[in-house]
Amino acid sequence: IQTSSVAERNKPFEFRINKDQSSFHNRLLQHDLEKNYSGKQDNINFGSSASITAFPILHRATDEKILNSDRLTLERQKLTVCPVIDGEEHLRLLNFQHNFITRIQNISNLQHLVFLDLYDNQIEEISGLSTLRCLRVLLLGKNRIKKISNLENLKNLDVLDLHGNQIAKIENINHLGELRVLNLARNLLSYVENLNGLDSLTELNLRHNQITSMKDVDTLPCLQHLFLSFNNISSFDNILCLADSSSLSDITLDGNPIAQETWYKSTILHHMMQLRQLDMKRITEEERRMASVAARKEEEKKRESHKQTLLKEKKRLTIGNIARQWEIQQNRVALVTSSNQDKKDSDSCQINGSAAYEFPEETRSLDTILSNAVHGLSVLDSHLVEVEGDTLYLYGSGALESLDRNWSVQTAGTVITVSFMFIEFDEIVQVLPKLKIRFPNSAHLKFKETNIVMLQQFNALAQVRRIEQLTVDPQGNPVVNFTLWKYYVLFRLNHFNLQKINGTEVTQNDIVMAERLFGILAHVASSELPQYRLLSLLGESRKKQFCYMLEAKGKRSGIVSEESNDSKRVGGENASQAILNYTTRELHTEKLEEIKERKKFCETYIQDLVKEATDINMKNESLQKLWPQMFIELVRDAVIEIRNKNSYMKLCLQRITDQK
Amino acid sequence: MEDAVSQLLENREDISQYGIARFFTEYFNSVRQGTHILFREFSFIQATPHNRASFLRTFWRCFRAVGKNGDLLTAKEYHCLLQLLCPDFPMELTQKAARIVLMDDAMDCLMSFSDFVFAFQIQFYYSEFLDSVAAIYQDLLTGKNPNTVIVPTSSSGQHRSRLAPSECSPLDGVEASLFYHCLESLCDRSKYSCPPSALVKEVLSSVQRLTFYGFLMALAKHHGINRALGALPDKGDLLLDPPMDQELEKLLSQVSGLSISTPAGSSGDIANLPTRISPRISSPWKPLHHCQKVNIESDGSTDETESSEN
Repeated sequence: IQTSSVAERNKPFEFRINKDQSSFHNRLLQHDLEKNYSGKQDNINFGSSASITAFPILHRATDEKILNSDRLTLERQKLTVCPVIDGEEHLRLLNFQHNFITRIQNISNLQHLVFLDLYDNQIEEISGLSTLRCLRVLLLGKNRIKKISNLENLKNLDVLDLHGNQIAKIENINHLGELRVLNLARNLLSYVENLNGLDSLTELNLRHNQITSMKDVDTLPCLQHLFLSFNNISSFDNILCLADSSSLSDITLDGNPIAQETWYKSTILHHMMQLRQLDMKRITEEERRMASVAARKEEEKKRESHKQTLLKEKKRLTIGNIARQWEIQQNRVALVTSSNQDKKDSDSCQINGSAAYEFPEETRSLDTILSNAVHGLSVLDSHLVEVEGDTLYLYGSGALESLDRNWSVQTAGTVITVSFMFIEFDEIVQVLPKLKIRFPNSAHLKFKETNIVMLQQFNALAQVRRIEQLTVDPQGNPVVNFTLWKYYVLFRLNHFNLQKINGTEVTQNDIVMAERLFGILAHVASSELPQYRLLSLLGESRKKQFCYMLEAKGKRSGIVSEESNDSKRVGGENASQAILNYTTRELHTEKLEEIKERKKFCETYIQDLVKEATDINMKNESLQKLWPQMFIELVRDAVIEIRNKNSYMKLCLQRITDQK
Repeated sequence: MEDAVSQLLENREDISQYGIARFFTEYFNSVRQGTHILFREFSFIQATPHNRASFLRTFWRCFRAVGKNGDLLTAKEYHCLLQLLCPDFPMELTQKAARIVLMDDAMDCLMSFSDFVFAFQIQFYYSEFLDSVAAIYQDLLTGKNPNTVIVPTSSSGQHRSRLAPSECSPLDGVEASLFYHCLESLCDRSKYSCPPSALVKEVLSSVQRLTFYGFLMALAKHHGINRALGALPDKGDLLLDPPMDQELEKLLSQVSGLSISTPAGSSGDIANLPTRISPRISSPWKPLHHCQKVNIESDGSTDETESSEN
């Protein structure tokens, strides 16, 4: 529908001025009006009415009226108000483009109007249209309209153009059942809803708004073209209603955040199988097929990642639970052993230790701790075993049992690092030999929150077949606070050729220093222990070696050097180091019990021996004292007997016969 | 003897291989050399003065290198080193020794090897004596006359809360001569080993007043008492031990030699490797101080009945 052509503009219009100019007021008004319309065309005359409303009245020349009886163009007339149009009741086309009109007025009498163009004015409110029941095209683009309203009677509206305004909400159009084209581009819309009732709508232009989500688009049965370029749509979930619309064949979404996503095209195509054109480009069959495949993959990925998140959450909770149990254990131990020490100390260091595990601020009373424990234990596991990449993670002392599980050869082979957390080191010591068998490739051991407190405990690590890296996390392992701990480890485990301790490379200097600091200890241990003690401290395997060496006394030095060289090369332990072993606290207390019993026995035994010895000694001394006297008596008795030879002979004979 | 039999029972399978006579020879040899306390339980180490002195000496020899290196360690770390030689050594003793060095202040401070070792010596060797001294000191502080028989309580470190007003504040300590008088009577009748009273007199005569830890520190630093004990060398010679250094050099050369990794290895003849078949080094008890005669056995006879069970 065109506005009046250029040629017609030259047709003369006449604007009659009312002759009644009695009042000074009117004269002024007229002066003002004339000033406003200074650039007027010759053939257009605007009259001023005597009434206070001061609207210009438009008159056209009669022949003009006959030629273009149904159309009137008042383009670029610098109008600030709509003029009263007299005697043009058959007008069907009215063009007010490019003026400065602020209100739609004075057109109520044009009840046959079909086409009204108010593009590029200053209208702030839709009004004054209630009598235009025949209106089919209403162009209100580029105005200052803030709200869609007062369109109730325009039931025949076919095209409604409201682009370039300040409309923030779609409303009051639900009765426009004949509307085919609705243009709301360049407004301030952020939600699209309330579109029901527009049963004829085929084109909806919503470009350049702030739309984030849409609703009700699927209620438009005829909608084919939907332009949503340059809005704020970022997720397909917000425009799901598009997928339900069977009529849509052409949409644009370029300039939205969603269009930047990698899955944009495939998701749109997957959800809108009926689409023929996207962003002004035709969609091929190939694209459609690929899109549905890709979209399916995307969904699977989402499901997978959701599952992963759930698993991670469960893992986190389990670890938190294990940590809590560990804390309780430590507290219990601390409270027991601190009966002699200052209670404050143990409490404060426990509080420090718990900071990392998101513990709520609470007083360290055993009651609250226990109640928390009961909570946690009933819900989750108390230990966790996991293989991730090349690392085997063991949380909680229950996890140690899993080492007995039947691990597949493949899994067992890939494990290079074994990480222990929240397990007492003494418990770990007992399973270390199993590591050799179950995970032959394990070369890196990590300890965190395992209560390593003495250098001696590192002696236990010698039971493992091979270590190349050792990590002892300061958290939960007080031994790391010692200055010499690394050197001790290097010294005790130097036959393993450790490469890294706590992430730092081991240098030659470190090894030399370790030997310098502790070498004498090993030397003293091996060379000054009596043999029987040596044998008892070493394990069964070494005893044979030593027995062999005992026998080969003659070729001492030669064999010895060979043996040690061999053992060092192969990676075996040196005898001196092997003596330095570690018995866990429990085993040690058991041993002490045995020793006590034995001591008691030995005490009584020795005392008996001593008594016997003293008795014998006493007897000996007495004998020594009494012997001289006894000897003299013996001699005297003998002499007395032999004095009389005859009687002595008789006495002897008598003795012999008595014997028989 | 009791311990020898106990050891015999413990290791009877191994010992039966090479004979009981040999066992007893070795056992008493090691007692004479002072190596019998290696890796034994604390109750044994504490049992006799000879054991205690042997232990001190062994500790010095094994960890002299740490002192030589100049590292300053905390009490806990020294305790760890002690535990390497005796797994159940009680922390209490180490802490008491640390208290002497640090004058009962800031227990986490770092200490040098020589400070610690001398303080530890006093604390360990004379522990019962020190308990009694502590009791006497407390009594003197509170003004009570301690000439009656005193039975030392087990915890000497705790401050008893007496309400009796004392003339002297704890910072001032007690009067030296009065203190000596009490100590002298203690030394005379004590069944435990005490430092020679002449030397104690020497320590106490040099000052007017002194605190408990001041006294202990003075004991620790006194050369004469150190020599009377006979376990450790003089302070100046603490870091010297030429024969051990020689052994250490050999070990070090072996360590660095191995890492250069010549497959032929070190030549067999000179390698004096740390295995036990190497000729026994001579008795570690060769006299440190030529002037004093070490008479360790004198106290031995009465100690049999006093070995504590815990």
